Amino acid sequence: MKQQISLDINGRVYDLVISHRDLLVDVLRKKLGLTGTKKGCGNGDCAACTVQVDGEPTLSCLTLAISCQGKKIITVEGLAQPGGALHPIQEAFVNQGAIQCGYCTPGMVMSAKALLDKNPKPTLEEIKLAISGNLCRCTGYKRIIEAIEIAAATMSAQEVK
Amino acid sequence: MQTWDKRETEVTEGKSSYVREGVPSYLDERRHSQVGRSVPKVDAAAKVRGEAVYADDMTLPNMLYGKIKRCKEYAHAKIKKIDCSKALALPGVFAVLTGDEAPNKWGIVPHSCNETVLAIDKVRFYGEGVAAVAAIDEETAEAALDLIEVEYEPLPALLDPFESMARANEVVIHETNPDNIAFHGNQIYGDVDKAFAECEYVLEREFKTGMPQHGFIEPQSALASFDPHNGRLHLWSSNQVPHYLHRQLSIVTEIPMSKIRVTIPTVGGGFGGKGEACPNEFAACILSRKTGRPVKITYERSEVFFTSKGRHPCHMKMKIGIDKDGYIQAVDFDNTMDKGAYASWGVVVMFYTGSMVHLPYKIPNVRSYLRNVYTNKPSSGALRGLGGVQPRLAMEVMLDEMAEMMGISPYELKMKNAVVSGYTAANNMYVPHTEYKRCLETAVEKSSYLEKHGKLPFGKGIGLAGGNYISGTAYTLYQNYKPHTTVVLRVDTEGGVTVQCACTDIGQGVDTVIAQFTAEALGVYFEDVHVVVRDTETATFDLGTFASRLTYATGTAVKAAAEPINQKLKEIAGQKLGCRADQLIIKDHKIYSMYETKKTMSWDEAVDIATSTVGTLVGVGHFSPPRRKGIDIVTGNRIQGGNIGHSPTFGFSCQIHEVEVDVETGRIRVKKVTEAGDMGTPVNPMAADGQVEGSIVYNMGAALYEDQVIGADGRHLNPNFHDYKMPTSMEMPDMFINTLKDSYDPTAPFGAKETGEGAVQPTFPAITNAVYDAIGIRFYQVPITPEMVLRALKEKKEKEAGCGA
Amino acid sequence: MYTNEFEYLAPTTPAEAFELVGRLGSKARILAGGTDLVVLMKDKLTSPEYVIDIKNIKEFKGIKYELGKGMTIGATTKISEVQYSEIVQEKYPALAYAASQLGGTQVRHMGTIGGNTCNASPSGETPTPLVALGAKVVLSSAAGERELPLEDFITGVRRLDLKEGEILTRFILPEPSPKSVSRYTYAGARDAMEIDCVNMAVNFELEDDKETIKYVKFVLGSVFIKPLVSKEVPALLIGQKFSDALVEKAVAAAQGEAKPISDVRASEWYRNEMVGNLTRRLLKEAFAAAREV
Repeated sequence: MKQQISLDINGRVYDLVISHRDLLVDVLRKKLGLTGTKKGCGNGDCAACTVQVDGEPTLSCLTLAISCQGKKIITVEGLAQPGGALHPIQEAFVNQGAIQCGYCTPGMVMSAKALLDKNPKPTLEEIKLAISGNLCRCTGYKRIIEAIEIAAATMSAQEVK
Repeated sequence: MQTWDKRETEVTEGKSSYVREGVPSYLDERRHSQVGRSVPKVDAAAKVRGEAVYADDMTLPNMLYGKIKRCKEYAHAKIKKIDCSKALALPGVFAVLTGDEAPNKWGIVPHSCNETVLAIDKVRFYGEGVAAVAAIDEETAEAALDLIEVEYEPLPALLDPFESMARANEVVIHETNPDNIAFHGNQIYGDVDKAFAECEYVLEREFKTGMPQHGFIEPQSALASFDPHNGRLHLWSSNQVPHYLHRQLSIVTEIPMSKIRVTIPTVGGGFGGKGEACPNEFAACILSRKTGRPVKITYERSEVFFTSKGRHPCHMKMKIGIDKDGYIQAVDFDNTMDKGAYASWGVVVMFYTGSMVHLPYKIPNVRSYLRNVYTNKPSSGALRGLGGVQPRLAMEVMLDEMAEMMGISPYELKMKNAVVSGYTAANNMYVPHTEYKRCLETAVEKSSYLEKHGKLPFGKGIGLAGGNYISGTAYTLYQNYKPHTTVVLRVDTEGGVTVQCACTDIGQGVDTVIAQFTAEALGVYFEDVHVVVRDTETATFDLGTFASRLTYATGTAVKAAAEPINQKLKEIAGQKLGCRADQLIIKDHKIYSMYETKKTMSWDEAVDIATSTVGTLVGVGHFSPPRRKGIDIVTGNRIQGGNIGHSPTFGFSCQIHEVEVDVETGRIRVKKVTEAGDMGTPVNPMAADGQVEGSIVYNMGAALYEDQVIGADGRHLNPNFHDYKMPTSMEMPDMFINTLKDSYDPTAPFGAKETGEGAVQPTFPAITNAVYDAIGIRFYQVPITPEMVLRALKEKKEKEAGCGA
Repeated sequence: MYTNEFEYLAPTTPAEAFELVGRLGSKARILAGGTDLVVLMKDKLTSPEYVIDIKNIKEFKGIKYELGKGMTIGATTKISEVQYSEIVQEKYPALAYAASQLGGTQVRHMGTIGGNTCNASPSGETPTPLVALGAKVVLSSAAGERELPLEDFITGVRRLDLKEGEILTRFILPEPSPKSVSRYTYAGARDAMEIDCVNMAVNFELEDDKETIKYVKFVLGSVFIKPLVSKEVPALLIGQKFSDALVEKAVAAAQGEAKPISDVRASEWYRNEMVGNLTRRLLKEAFAAAREV
């Protein structure tokens, strides 16, 4: 069953025709070319596909696109700052060496953002918990956690959203 | 332009490595400004923005989507009939493919090629591909798979190598191997039996390792475009060996290599799992040729589990003899490996397990009996640190046990026997440089191992293990002695500095490392270098990402490629400055006399003159590893082991793990890891430490959680990330990485060696030894599951109660 | 993997939802969070013609507590809301803790408490403490409502006593006795993203002497086709003074009642051992806590 819907993604409203069964990850990647959101397992086990839906960290591989009408979707592409500068979370990931193959990175960054939006000064344990659904096979997590700690400090100082 | 001194330079014992005390700077080969710099990776910003393009992110005009039909009924069966007619009739389906249309066999090792793109006549493992389709979208392709009808005649599934050998008279997996043994080999050095007879301490143990899988987060994806007009094929694929893939594509498609181009987009992890061709690559190419349209095939996670070739499960017997003075005299090693269904890297990994016994301790007498046996399971292949981690487990655990027999610390025993620079092993493996003893010393000191070992309360333990790995390989897999890596450097006023090499970054960071090498070799900044990589057409030859070879190989080739360019620029500068070209130094964008610092000109000006007069400067450099195979004409020693185990140099490391065992659930938690590693010069210290941290958590997974489970009927029972359990952030231990920053291998380019695979070696035994220290139970098997711990604790309790009565 | 084609329906009022569910019957599946249903649909284990998304119905979500009367939790309340709710943490700590140990962050923000129950997986996290806390489910339809103890609602592996036209709309938790404590524990291989191989919850109260056990409800998960309410453990404990010897009897009783299976996650032997060791751990933990109340 096909239908025209509107989706608010990164502050822009897209009108598009989708099938009811279409998952958000496929709509983002195939219909809109927003390939920053990655598909690692398709079953909600790796969280590489994490986006924010109304602020909450959401597995786009288990979310029906049609169910996102009227909600605010933020993907990794939506983190770009004015002039294309990196978001403080992104900057910390780059500078801390928290990125190796990079495939888990967009999902990690979005999980970190969902955490810091709600909890600007998380403890180490809260950071670990927030990304515990996001699998990374390269880094051993250490530098990712450090990057989120640094980003939290930077964002608190700068009041960046 | 940022200059070097505004950036972090790594500090060695309080001093910048840029200037070494007591060495005239112009004579100091270690005076690096770009090597040894912790810089963010060249692709980090693109990756963090979600802009890096991975294979599945690509689309081409008119592209079709392919899917592979897999046998989900049996692990071993004859294919009686495949009927694709209904699938082909489905609207939106453009082509179907079956195995008989692509019968040429492929495989990474030429003399054991035994795979076809899709199964022909029979399937040999659960989930093997039997047909493929190309359709307008993935949904249609998937629907078409359900319409393909396959009739099978089941055959008994052999799921254990010993059963496989025993039942070869009734069930054969490959007609070419009537005994079901894929490979076997013996390597005998010295007189092992005589040595054992003279030893004071002799111990023999049996070990078993599980079947972990790579777990890269990006599933394989391949996009092929065949141009019927000129007969050219272009493949973009998530692969770590573009050259070997290129060769295999030519063999299977019968298109000459010169008409095939392989481009590797950004790769989302490999760990060896993308270290050979993969059926989706062939199928995409052939379907593209059939349809005249681009075809992309991306695997589901379950398909990754079925097809990608993980670590060989090993059944090992090891016997070690130590003399009364504490020196290891002999090792007897017997390894039966579970090959799974197809040959893959099998012969290589098998001989590696034999070679790896020879280091990092001095052992005069070594005997290895090795066999790799076909079973109806997922094929085993190359996985990070291949061939090393299984024998490493055996040896490090046994040395821990023997130290206890001898009443000394495992540290003392290992220090006593550790190899030193210039050591030649019994099998003629040569170690030009090692800081292994310093690794042991450093990790022991930083962790307070000696104060804790044997003294922690029940349930808490500390364990030590060391290890090493090759840094480069000696031979190509096919008989050819061409250079393994070629680098082209290009310098002019338009492009600046460009380095070309088809080396493949799979996340480990070679793109960044080759840029740092290039900057160092040409005397410019890392930020100036443009990297052209991962393409068989626009970049120059490289053998691939495996055997931790790229730091050594690219570094050597870059140095050689820089020479003619530097020579030309020095000649130009010499004329202008009025001094001899051979007295000039190029560094940090300056060309100056090593004796008269006033005589200086800018590098950019020299490049301008060169571009305006002789045109673009180009340098070509090659890397060919030293040959150490054959018969030594002086000693008459034959170096055995085929192409395996000889390496230009080796990386070393020591890990000390501290664990807590929950005696009620059997859960083992690694709380703290102290590591010390010798990787020569860390080219990018931040990235290098990241490799080590990643390595520790990586193999902690296979030590404690990860194992592919195959049912009694051969079905794969956990082809997903919820039941194949990789470590999450909650399992991460505190990690203290003490890379020896001042290590320098004088035989290596810029002094640099490997760390991507060496650092996984000590993890299995360090955890195993720590568990023994915690609860007094020695495990000879990984993964050590909670159930194993609980059973062992129960048995121990019953035994002790029995003794008391 | 793709799901079958279906029609998506998203009612915004209970009446609309009851009408749809009543009319479409077994042709429809109810979507509450999707973390289980979408996986099942991708694997083609279920291929409904209609998917009825009930997340937009505000009457079906939210946590309400009234002192002395207890709590109602709407079926589409997110697991994360249950986890972070201060009142749940205070009054029903076993439930809050179980919610915090379910899946990963994303799953907790997507999955709902009603979905976790209706998925009816033996290894489900929240049904175990809900049963221990005496939760009832409210099953609503166009015809009206009925209440059922949760242990009677889940009848087996992926089986529910849900009549055609009915929707699980909320849970009712009785006001906990002021002196009672509730605790939850589980065994899994990792500290996140686990599917429990055994879980259990207890609701526990001591007499004023702080020694004698007044009340116990003890529930085991992942060791039977549905949450297993222990009969023998309360029979052994109630009226007795708490002691190690008594706990050992309870351990043996729990192991006798549990009927675990072997699968890819754990063997029957290990599950049975875990029933024993965790029963011991949980009862001691509950006893220590109850003495402090």
